[in-house]
Amino acid sequence: MPPIRDKFIIHSKAVVCQDVDLKGDITIGPGTVVHPKAIIYAIGGPIVIGSNNIIEEGATIVNRRKEVMRIGDENLFEIGSRVESPSVGDQNTVSTKARVHHTVRIGSHCSIGPKCFINTSEDIKLDDFTVLYGPNWEERLWSGRGQKQAEDLSTKHVEYLKEWLPKFNRLRRGEMP
Amino acid sequence: MSATIKYYCSCLSNTVVPPAPHLPSSSHSFHTLPELYFCEECDAVRCNECVSIEVSGYYCPNCLFEVPSASVRAEKNRCARNCFFCPQCFNTLAVVPSDPPDGTSFHQANSMGEPPFLLYCNNCRWDSAEAGITFEKSTGLAQQLQKHEDSAPDSLEFERLKDFFEPLLRASSSNTQHAPGTSSHSTHTNPITAAASSALARDIPGVSKYHPPPPRSRQKSKHGSKDDMPTYRSRVEIGGINGYGAGGEKDADLFSRLEHPSQVSTLAQKWTGSWSVSPLSRDLKPIRIPLHSRLTKRCPSCRHILIKPEQKAQSVRFKIKLVAANYLPAIEVHLPQPTASTRRVPGARTTQDADQSNSSRSSLLPGKSYPFRLGLKNPLYDPIQVRLVVQRQPLPAVPSAGEASTEKSRRPPFAISLPSTAFSIAPYAEAWEYEDEDDLDGLDDDDGLSPVKAAKGRSKTVGVLEKKANTTIVGGEIVIAKDGRGDAKFNMLVSYTYRSDEPPVDEMIGSKRATDLVKTNPETKTFTFYTVVDLGTIIPKEDARTASPDAY
Ligand SMILES: [Zn+2]
Ligand SMILES: [Zn+2]
Ligand SMILES: [Zn+2]
Ligand SMILES: [Zn+2]
Ligand SMILES: [Zn+2]
Repeated sequence: MPPIRDKFIIHSKAVVCQDVDLKGDITIGPGTVVHPKAIIYAIGGPIVIGSNNIIEEGATIVNRRKEVMRIGDENLFEIGSRVESPSVGDQNTVSTKARVHHTVRIGSHCSIGPKCFINTSEDIKLDDFTVLYGPNWEERLWSGRGQKQAEDLSTKHVEYLKEWLPKFNRLRRGEMP
Repeated sequence: MSATIKYYCSCLSNTVVPPAPHLPSSSHSFHTLPELYFCEECDAVRCNECVSIEVSGYYCPNCLFEVPSASVRAEKNRCARNCFFCPQCFNTLAVVPSDPPDGTSFHQANSMGEPPFLLYCNNCRWDSAEAGITFEKSTGLAQQLQKHEDSAPDSLEFERLKDFFEPLLRASSSNTQHAPGTSSHSTHTNPITAAASSALARDIPGVSKYHPPPPRSRQKSKHGSKDDMPTYRSRVEIGGINGYGAGGEKDADLFSRLEHPSQVSTLAQKWTGSWSVSPLSRDLKPIRIPLHSRLTKRCPSCRHILIKPEQKAQSVRFKIKLVAANYLPAIEVHLPQPTASTRRVPGARTTQDADQSNSSRSSLLPGKSYPFRLGLKNPLYDPIQVRLVVQRQPLPAVPSAGEASTEKSRRPPFAISLPSTAFSIAPYAEAWEYEDEDDLDGLDDDDGLSPVKAAKGRSKTVGVLEKKANTTIVGGEIVIAKDGRGDAKFNMLVSYTYRSDEPPVDEMIGSKRATDLVKTNPETKTFTFYTVVDLGTIIPKEDARTASPDAY
């Protein structure tokens, strides 16, 4: 394997803390908040993260594949979660300590509950509105009712972090797009 | 670690001496220290088995509303406000408004949100509209649901059952001097039990129908028994929601069309409901949260209150809290190393690994001796003098069935050595009061209670090992007999002498010892209590050879 060349493109409106662990070719879009101690490794191919995502402490995002790993908008990766999905849609929540294997693509409006673990031998895609929860990783489909409220909450969450994180953390700047 | 210690409450026996540790009754008589109470009036340890309990208040664990006991029954022991469990995952549900119509942002909409309101689960994202339940107002949801609940056939049936039993209950209480019939062993003599058992014998939804041949006694009681209980006929055939769940043709049809296991409600989901619950998970209704109670506990012999919580549900404090941990020294047992790793190739396992493997009971090998440590912590503001005595074990009386009664099996399986003299433990103090006197308060200024000297030739293992703040660590040793087997468990009598605030009028058990110990201070009292120490299991020789180290 050739050595990984670091290339970080961080949008001027993104909030990426200094103390994050980045490797490889990574693009971070406007409004996206990356907390300290988050880990983003583009080992195989590049990682492109859209706008207004939140990546919390200890959350790990890894691209093991050659093709670009695309993460959409307004996703929340909670503390200690680990996602290696080749693609992630919009408005998903990956809860604390949840893990998603590199064979699983995530649609939109999905919720992966705390400590849920998705690992398949073949490539699959989680349908939009999939909910995984509980100790047995049970699966449901969300009706979508309350979606507007969820969006609203997510917007407020991002706004709050954008205001407060820079007061206590040094920010990282990458090349402008 | 794997070695444990428990404290004795004498309530289950007539003697102050606990049962031998190998007896089954032992486990019921000993408790961990945090579970025990202390009655100052009786100067005795009390446990949850013997204290008398009164409910001092009911509250909802979710909204912390204190429910007056008068309304607990009417509200069927559940929160009558806005507290519900998710029927899918048992998370608590939140009340949320409907989403505003497309195009408008949420900020622009009414701050209270738009009706209809829903109950929404943040964990599995279930909402009550899935079960066809929405609310016009965001408050008093339980009342809004009450109408559904009260008109449910199951609920109506229950009301009818109560009405049916009411006169029977009255009748039975009015003539309690009811001469027992000839078949007195029959449970049918009491009209209440008779009525209840006949009602219970009816078909239970979800359980396959079973018709045992009616026993003779019942047939008799039907014809002109003194019970003269009318037969109860249910008005509705109980069949769950939409007639499903009764185990009939309809269910078979339903289940033949299932596509995914998640469509069926699980057993856990079903048995939390008060009434028969649909077999389909999509029909499950939100569950009102059951109330909790706060308890007052009293000493069984003198009726003094040992535990009295504060009235407010939000408070985690107690008005009265007489727990044993504030009176008796807390003891920790530590058996440094189980045999599992000592038998391994040196270096094959790091000590860290070995420590982690200690979560299971440690195993001891026959013919070996093991040092162990007892850490005693003084909860009192005065220094105490402690003496430890191992209770003599009666020999295992009869060897277990099928085994030849040899001389060997009559020998005790192990022997325990403990410091034979009393030792002191410094008083409890707030953390900041200790400062750096810790170092000074070592073994040196110990008033003549230094470790057991060469007399026993074990000055390193048996005796006082360390003193720090209000903790004294003493060492003991267990020697396992060559043919030892069973649990390395022994009863230990702990007596401690402390300065008493009262004049020493009623000197109690062990007072003789007390005067021996502290001659200078007459105002001392001695309290004694029993503990059981469990150091682990002795692996008999033959098993030890075959036991693979990988098993740990
Ligand atoms: Zn008792
Ligand atoms: Zn008791
Ligand atoms: Zn409540
Ligand atoms: Zn739920
Ligand atoms: Zn008492």
